[in-house]
Amino acid sequence: MLTLENVTAGYGGGDVLQGVDLTCAPGTVTCIVGPNGAGKSTVLKVISGLLRCRTGSVSLGETRLDGLDPSRVLALGITQVPQSQALFPGMTVRENVQLGGYLIRRDRKLLAARYAAVCERIPLVASRAGDHAGNLSGGQRRMVEIARCLMLEPKLLLLDEPSLGLDPQSLAGVAGLIRSLNEGGTTMLLVEQNVRLGLGLATHGVVMEGGRVRLTGTAAAVRDNPEMAALYLGGTSAKETQRG
Amino acid sequence: MAQFVQAVVLGVLIGGIYALMASGLTLIFGVLRIVNIAQGAFLILVATFTWWLWRTTGIDPILSAVITAPLMFGLGWVLYRFVVRRISGQAASMSVLLTFGIALVIEGFLNVVAGNKFRSATPAYFEQSFRVGDILLPKAQVYGFLAAVVVLGGLYLLLTRTWAGRAIRATSQNPSAAALVGIGATATAALAFALGSASAGVGGSILSVLYPFFPASHYDWISRLLGIVVLGGMGSLPGALVGALVLGLAETLTATYGSLQWSTLVFYLVIMAVLLVRPQGLFGARLREDVA
Ligand SMILES: Nc1ncnc2c1ncn2[C@@H]1O[C@H](COP(=O)(O)OP(=O)(O)OP(=O)(O)O)[C@@H](O)[C@H]1O
Ligand SMILES: [Mg+2]
Repeated sequence: MLTLENVTAGYGGGDVLQGVDLTCAPGTVTCIVGPNGAGKSTVLKVISGLLRCRTGSVSLGETRLDGLDPSRVLALGITQVPQSQALFPGMTVRENVQLGGYLIRRDRKLLAARYAAVCERIPLVASRAGDHAGNLSGGQRRMVEIARCLMLEPKLLLLDEPSLGLDPQSLAGVAGLIRSLNEGGTTMLLVEQNVRLGLGLATHGVVMEGGRVRLTGTAAAVRDNPEMAALYLGGTSAKETQRG
Repeated sequence: MAQFVQAVVLGVLIGGIYALMASGLTLIFGVLRIVNIAQGAFLILVATFTWWLWRTTGIDPILSAVITAPLMFGLGWVLYRFVVRRISGQAASMSVLLTFGIALVIEGFLNVVAGNKFRSATPAYFEQSFRVGDILLPKAQVYGFLAAVVVLGGLYLLLTRTWAGRAIRATSQNPSAAALVGIGATATAALAFALGSASAGVGGSILSVLYPFFPASHYDWISRLLGIVVLGGMGSLPGALVGALVLGLAETLTATYGSLQWSTLVFYLVIMAVLLVRPQGLFGARLREDVA
């Protein structure tokens, strides 16, 4: 369903992604793991259109995504929860979540129905509806960010470290949410530092390091691969040593 | 006592008008992160046009805002699309240079078409006042204030009750998140620039009655507006409102108890005192996000 071929991308000078290949089959949950700075978040930004790739291609089925504006990518059914700071702090929780339905704003009934469904899935939205998002705790914000992403009922959901800052109970809640969304047919691409959680939820695993994909396979295979530990502990980076 | 009340009421009337004028500047800054130095020139451009309209057709200057606001909306939109947009994403100094350039072009244009002399629209009510007990309220100030309140109220409703307004607020609070929910950056920026210009449309029409002006008056006005916006906190509309009221009151109170020459100085002293305590301005950071 989603295919990245030989993608390179960067922010200013050098390439952060140095030729990334990645595929997500429909209905799967793919989890990207890797050390800090590996380029995991950058991959998600390239898919959602926040960052243009320099070479290579990103496609959803037959449709090319590279070069499209974020709103076009969104309209194709791909939503993203970024790693941090994704809310509008001066707006209420309700407004924040409803803005997730910006693209369907003209259909008031649909918007209201989706909002009600999201409130049911994530009760925090209903209970703090009138509070400013800027006054929520970090974990509560995370839940609102995830809630906002559900307003469009995406085909492909990109979650950047969904577990970030969540207490065990909310974590279980998010894990349950990911499972139930996946059972409902949503394809997912996660980035997760909590490897056990991430690969536990996922059907497929991807290990990134230094802007490249180092390892792919089923979640179980990736988890049990001896190379994985070496890569993930960040020990292999010969290039890093050269640079330093 | 009556003198004090008179000064305060007058200060509030003038403050409301300043608030309208500053709202455009702060709205544009909030969304585009551009300090629109041309905002003062927009005011003088509109004031001159309003004066001309009043002289040739007799249309009430303040009411002619109904014409000048849409015209300025259009001008703002075109300016954004074809000029200002080219520097989006560049350093703030670029935007100051560019908008200062626009201000100079407008000033030069006015010098050519209207001549370098003081003007002021003087409709029949120009020197009349409403009398409430011991207090005299100049009619022009009252009408100007009412127009400002209507426009600011409309702006508030637009920003909070419509999707276009939500898109503007979302972009000013978190541009990358706004992009992620599908809000188009260019369209929103164009709308904000156009709305900010339209508010100068109303502000300029009011100005034409209340203050004598000539092409280079825009320097004086932009420094006032910048003072207000810095005092209130860049990009904050409530901040602009409070900053404008402080300026209005500083002017009328100083004029009543001291002399008019000192009133601007007093205002800048207030700004300096506030900025020493709150460098981000009065409303610059109310939320955790900004403090961190
Ligand atoms: N906005 C940015 N501007 C410039 N460079 C950036 C930006 N965001 C990320 N980078 C650089 O890109 C590289 C990869 O960053 P990225 O955020 O993709 O890493 P990550 O794998 O998500 O790491 P983490 O686990 O810490 O989230 C880093 O070296 C970082 O310095
Ligand atoms: Mg990251």
